[in-house]
Amino acid sequence: MQLIIKSAKVVDPSSPHNGKTVSIFIENGVIKQIASSKSQVPNNTKIIDIEGLHISPGFFDMQVNFRDPGHEYKEDLLSGCASASAGGFTGVAVMPGTHPPIHTKSEVEYVKRKTSGNIVDVFPVGAITHNTDGKELSEMYDMHSAGSIAFSDDKKPVSDAGLFLRALLYAKNFKGLLLAHCDEKTISLHGQMNEGKVSTSLGLKGIPALAEEVMVARNIFLCEYTSGKIHFQSISTAKSVELIRDAKKKGLKVTASVNAHHLALDDSSLKDFDTSCKVNPPLRTKQDIDALKKGLSDGTIDAITSDHSPEDEENKKVEFDYAAFGMIGLETCFALANTYSNLKLNDLVKKFVIRPREIFGLSVPKIKEKEKANLTLFLPNKEWKLEEKNIRSKSKNTPFIGKKLKGKIIGVVNNGKIELVSN
Amino acid sequence: MSKLSTPHLLGIKDITTSDIELIFKTADNFKDVINRPIKKVPSLRDITIANLFFESSTRTRISFELAEKRLSADVINFSSASSSVKKGETLIDTVNNILAMKVDMVVMRHPAPGAAHFLSKNVNAKIVNAGDGTHEHPTQALLDAYSIRQKFGKVKGKKVAIVGDILHSRVAISNIYCLKKLGAEVMVCGPTTLIPKYINALGVKVENNLRKALEWCDVANMLRIQLERQDIKYFPSLREYTMQFGLNRALLDSLKKEITIMHPGPINRGVEITSDVADSKQSIILEQVENGVAIRMAVLYLLAGRQEEN
Repeated sequence: MQLIIKSAKVVDPSSPHNGKTVSIFIENGVIKQIASSKSQVPNNTKIIDIEGLHISPGFFDMQVNFRDPGHEYKEDLLSGCASASAGGFTGVAVMPGTHPPIHTKSEVEYVKRKTSGNIVDVFPVGAITHNTDGKELSEMYDMHSAGSIAFSDDKKPVSDAGLFLRALLYAKNFKGLLLAHCDEKTISLHGQMNEGKVSTSLGLKGIPALAEEVMVARNIFLCEYTSGKIHFQSISTAKSVELIRDAKKKGLKVTASVNAHHLALDDSSLKDFDTSCKVNPPLRTKQDIDALKKGLSDGTIDAITSDHSPEDEENKKVEFDYAAFGMIGLETCFALANTYSNLKLNDLVKKFVIRPREIFGLSVPKIKEKEKANLTLFLPNKEWKLEEKNIRSKSKNTPFIGKKLKGKIIGVVNNGKIELVSN
Repeated sequence: MSKLSTPHLLGIKDITTSDIELIFKTADNFKDVINRPIKKVPSLRDITIANLFFESSTRTRISFELAEKRLSADVINFSSASSSVKKGETLIDTVNNILAMKVDMVVMRHPAPGAAHFLSKNVNAKIVNAGDGTHEHPTQALLDAYSIRQKFGKVKGKKVAIVGDILHSRVAISNIYCLKKLGAEVMVCGPTTLIPKYINALGVKVENNLRKALEWCDVANMLRIQLERQDIKYFPSLREYTMQFGLNRALLDSLKKEITIMHPGPINRGVEITSDVADSKQSIILEQVENGVAIRMAVLYLLAGRQEEN
């Protein structure tokens, strides 16, 4: 593969070319030359020349659900990768909530084998407990050795504090990272949406912000006691941000991420019982959104994720109480963050490129000569409308169909391959 | 002649004050009808109504059925204790199957909040919500407000206390919307575990002491404790609930004024109210039941668009 990307503005805080408009020549998957002026183009070279093009190292999503194995009709590993690349992601961490869950070496290897050679690098996250049922530790070391980059019980957080404490201690042996989705189920019990004015007016059972916050607080205590390492996923409330900010100040090894849709929508989106807005954690309030944005800008929140959660129509076009939680997000994640987070591009790249890989201990690609070409091409100011027919995920459960968004992905380059978004 | 602002009756939140007044005025006429020797009018003789009850109900179902028959509509009843979803058929499929037999209106009770909204967006029929989980029960609220209006001549300015399990009560939510729209003051009263944390957002006062609530109000609407809706324990025992929130004759007599007692039924006698309160002259519980038929006749008649033909 020979490729030249002409007059693209570099967004990469770690690159000497950051902020400059350059032409990048790529050969055999490696950045061969970065030049400010238009150099000679060799024959048989694919040329990308789009006005206003920006280029950054490839995005990384720390939290996606690909439903494979088990529910491949919602999403399989390859359709998930197609959705990821369309969203500008060259790396994703897949959560273990499949059927069976990723809870032994076999599933870790299955995910890796099925996706090897893909333009998107897929990193499995193994379960903390067997079957993610919160009772016995899974063989974390074995999964770690097979390529599991972190551990999580996904949307079924370990409620047994003693067990979570032992998991934190045990993972230290091999520098394992635990991911925590915080939800105290005895408080959120059967809840359908954020507890607040809207849930009260709709008669829907509320999920208090408290359900998340007590578990964030508990985990911070456990983290401090064990000197372990926790990454908080899908942080959604103002107080969670505050708790994590304080923990970071204390020097604890905690990091955090937020889902892009939690920056874009509040719980008033549910006032018409719209099941496409039913997510876990639930959409919160305007005050929470403000706190999340502040957490992003002051560095309390390290990364932005999609929590891409494909669901078929049968699980969404039903009465609200019976609808599944979750929305797809890979293909709108960047646009939502770009539209709603108030972050400058350099900071967005930190949240989409650098911090996710640093947290997982992965090397961060750079826009530099002789580096592997792992790139995302995008137009940050382009407005576009999400159309159902263009969604590459097998599932279409998103409230953003027909909505105007700002920031368009043009394509990705990785593993010697190039993938452009055609629409 | 005016008409309703909505094609369906999904909840009180979605209708206007003039809708409510129109329903009341229409109900006045139907109340005359049902007190005549021939209690029937031919208004809806070309209309077929399906009563779909996915949750057990006796009085609401009978009240709707009677209202439909007094209007000469053809009626079919479908009852299923568990929701159709659990049997494998979706709600949309169930209802579309019934509509394929040329049904014009659907009266539905369902355990899931928002089920009536969901249905109205997905099937082609007029929908009347006869109670959707813990969300709304609009005809109950209308008949309650109508009964207050009948007793006092107006609803505006009246003080109404709603007592009991507010957290699981569609009657409470619909009553709050309806009474507020008509200018009444509303207070909710019950154990703290059964009062939604954000209930103030609906513009009501909150009181945890029954005596204080009764001293404040003109009307006390004593809700039934719905143990079937409580997935976990919100209070230790019915006995203890009654000790704090049960209304008995002695308490009623000790008040400085004579308040009116309502209950949406069915009554757990000896739990939320004692028999001598339920059967006293201060109680308008049976008037509520009678008004229920008139209100439901009015709602069905107006939704069928019949007022335009007059």
